[in-house]
Amino acid sequence: MANISVFLCKCLGEIDHIIDFGLLREELSKNSSVALISTVDSLCLETDIEKTISLIKETDADKVLIAACSILSRGNLVVDCLVKAGVERHKIALVDIREGCAWIHGDNPEDASKKAKDLINMGIAALQHKEMSDDMSVAVNPSALIIGAGPAGLAAAISVAEMGYEVSILERSKTPGGMLKLISRCYPDNEDASNKLDPYIREIENNPLITFYPQSKITSIEGDTGNFTVHFSSQEKDSSIQSGVIIIATGAKIFFPTGLYGYGEIKNVITQMEFERQILNESLETKKTVFIQCVGARDRKRPYCSTICCPISLKNASRIAEDVPGASVFILHRGIMTPGNTLEKYYRDALASGVQFIRFEEEQPPRIIGSDHVEFVEVYDAITGITRKIETDLVVLSTPLIPNNDNARLAQMLGIEVDRYGFFSEVYPMHPLETKTDGIFICGSARWPVSSDHSIIQGKAAAMKAVSYLKQSKIAASTLSRVPGPKAGHACVNVDACTGCGNCVAVCPFDACQLEKLEGRYVSTVNLMKCKACGNCVPLCPNGSIQIPEHNYRMVGGMIQRAF
Amino acid sequence: MHTVKMKNPKILIFACKWCGLIGADAAGKKRISLPSQFRVIPVECASLVEPDAVLRALAGGIDGIAVLGCHIGGCRYNNANHTAIKRMELLKDLLDTTGIGRSRLLLSFGTAHEDYQFEEIIKSFFDEVSLLTPLDPWLSSFGVIS
Repeated sequence: MANISVFLCKCLGEIDHIIDFGLLREELSKNSSVALISTVDSLCLETDIEKTISLIKETDADKVLIAACSILSRGNLVVDCLVKAGVERHKIALVDIREGCAWIHGDNPEDASKKAKDLINMGIAALQHKEMSDDMSVAVNPSALIIGAGPAGLAAAISVAEMGYEVSILERSKTPGGMLKLISRCYPDNEDASNKLDPYIREIENNPLITFYPQSKITSIEGDTGNFTVHFSSQEKDSSIQSGVIIIATGAKIFFPTGLYGYGEIKNVITQMEFERQILNESLETKKTVFIQCVGARDRKRPYCSTICCPISLKNASRIAEDVPGASVFILHRGIMTPGNTLEKYYRDALASGVQFIRFEEEQPPRIIGSDHVEFVEVYDAITGITRKIETDLVVLSTPLIPNNDNARLAQMLGIEVDRYGFFSEVYPMHPLETKTDGIFICGSARWPVSSDHSIIQGKAAAMKAVSYLKQSKIAASTLSRVPGPKAGHACVNVDACTGCGNCVAVCPFDACQLEKLEGRYVSTVNLMKCKACGNCVPLCPNGSIQIPEHNYRMVGGMIQRAF
Repeated sequence: MHTVKMKNPKILIFACKWCGLIGADAAGKKRISLPSQFRVIPVECASLVEPDAVLRALAGGIDGIAVLGCHIGGCRYNNANHTAIKRMELLKDLLDTTGIGRSRLLLSFGTAHEDYQFEEIIKSFFDEVSLLTPLDPWLSSFGVIS
């Protein structure tokens, strides 16, 4: 049946001066599926694409084969134009005879022409077997749910509300603010933490679009992209919230270095958080202080750098050096991490105010000397080679941020992943705030240890991403693609052939397949909102019941047969 | 049976659109000259390539098949390529067991996304496959329809 219109693009001479279009036209005219052959100068130019579209509309043939450039260059645009003009995507085949043929076989036009002929035949075979996937649309609940009311969560909530959408915030403690409530000053501008936090807290109290739920614990989560239902209990009451998107801003917790450097055994060996607490309740008394960096971080168990501990030590060490007359302050480190445009100056200011820096190596950590309270710290200075014995009355240990204990449970409820350390995983490579489930975002220290400044930035960014979902009244599953453009399709199960073995359920990288009971037996069903058409399930199916219609086995078989 | 060096081996390439096809395109943009006896089938992800398709290609007279995917940790489909690598490596073992030979299946996960990398892989694969005994006479002598 003659149902294919073929358009050969000359690409303004780039293709047709190597490839013999006469040969192509001759071969195509012998093919009974070809209804129309048309040569165009340059399909991506407006005049030519319009002419092509009108030709397609005039003819009875419903399938289109474009022989032009690669799908990764202009070919994509041509296909999109045709789809916009009403041609169904699965009825279009794009054959690359430029990057994949004319341009790499320029020294052999005869072989290039034969190859172009073969590639076009493969395209025709593909068109004869390509089918259309199912799609579905869901109405989006135009509200957001933020889990966590630290700086990241607060910034996210306010940003979403600013754009006119309702927001609910679930927080496990009694008041908002997260870890920022526990510190006195923020680096690098040494601003009071409460001053920084107040405008955010006032905004969430006053803004009618924002509802704050303190002392909440999430019990279960249902639903999918665009329609989540979160069940939680707050102050002895059980409740639930519906939302279109979820932003996770649950932060992290401090690592307590029990057993390291005499922590817990020797008096006056404390963590940075306890130092902050002593400042806040004005019980800090020290004249000779030693800060030790990388305690429980950048070692074999936790090889990462927690980003914030060096600036925090600079902040606290400078404070003592400046405020306490005659103070002696040391920072023992394995490399001071101060990236960006403000932290280098912060470091030099600390140096200028009299803080002394000694570098030690991981294999030779400093030694705490003292029986019931700390008296000296002995450290081997790796740069000078001299072992120094520093008199001290307080040792402050910089420990990393580690994931909350609850992360794994929350991740499982949401259907997202945690990384090897336990922080929530982002989607590689270009979706730093998104997770495996579309519509669920991560920001702040829940994702990776960051300062409050960066938490706020990430919260705002996550809010932006979230609103791009909320502003659509309906979301089509085919638009939830991880790559530029729509999805290639969706996996489709032939329920008559499916034996319910569960291979596809096990292997799907997006947990899109589920076994369901159908007339007394189990068959696989595909959740179209989750399926990304990667095709991982297809080779694993023992009898080929699951296929991607736009790339099914008949199409591949047909292409292989016509390849040479 | 005597060894015959193949003059013009036929090669089929399954290239994932996000690494392998980008290398092929880059080679095209640079006008790098390549042998012409290969055909490319673009796929969304290398995990879509079925071992069946590889075997069908071999049975149909194609001398070598290449599967180009993304590097470990670099798959846009949440590490679907990890399953693909395991599957393809197992297929290589099976090709050895059946006497077809693992060198007819080339796997490149993350090593073909630059133009010169694609060029090198294609040219060396052609060289390697042309040293192998053509499958056709072997297959037909065993009664396999080709």
